Amino acid sequence: MLFRARRMGYRTHKEERELRRYETIFVTHPDLTEEDHSTLLEKIRSLSATGNGDILKIDDWGIKKLGYEIGKSSRGHFFLMDYLAAPHLVRELERNLRLNDRVLKFMTVKVGDDLAPETAKALKEVRPAEKVNPAGEPSPAGEVPKKDEPKKIPAEGGEGR
Amino acid sequence: MKPPARKRRSFQRRKICVFCADSNLKIDYKDIKTLGHFVTERGKILPRRISGNCAKHQRDITEAIKRARNIALMPFSIVSS
Repeated sequence: MLFRARRMGYRTHKEERELRRYETIFVTHPDLTEEDHSTLLEKIRSLSATGNGDILKIDDWGIKKLGYEIGKSSRGHFFLMDYLAAPHLVRELERNLRLNDRVLKFMTVKVGDDLAPETAKALKEVRPAEKVNPAGEPSPAGEVPKKDEPKKIPAEGGEGR
Repeated sequence: MKPPARKRRSFQRRKICVFCADSNLKIDYKDIKTLGHFVTERGKILPRRISGNCAKHQRDITEAIKRARNIALMPFSIVSS
């Protein structure tokens, strides 16, 4: 029954409640303006809010050289997003990233498994603590220096791994 | 006289997995600097017998490199002219 419900796209009751910790990296076109980025981030934030997710941080890595060309562009603007979400929200976020042609590439990785409601709550609350460096290494010389989002919310922990 | 074939097999000291030796080192797909040590200049993943990783960490490294490639942090291959 459960499998069938999943296959047909219905969310099961259990899925709806469970929060997991994910991180999504997405690469946008390097020629985008500041406004383009803020609308994109705004969209993500609103999606997350409606989907009952919680964004721990969004890091702006700036423009980096890509390992290979994507759509004739050899550079890309990297963003790393660390958040708590239920699986259906991840699906929704990825669908939106896929539809957005400004986003060259994206990838979501599950960092932590099913969080108990208490830990999820604790994670949410510790947020306004200290500022945490992004997990990514400081960008090498010759690249745009990393700057944080103005609205960036510092997360409590470093790596979930 | 015996042929020196057996002798020619050079003995090599067993390499120690860097990640086992130093537990502070974390394998992360976003950390391209570390991952860069485990690929050839053409971008291929180094085999365990060269890098000296233990099986567990080699698996982690492999997964991390593949993730990094997927999101274009690392190249799949570097084609030299």
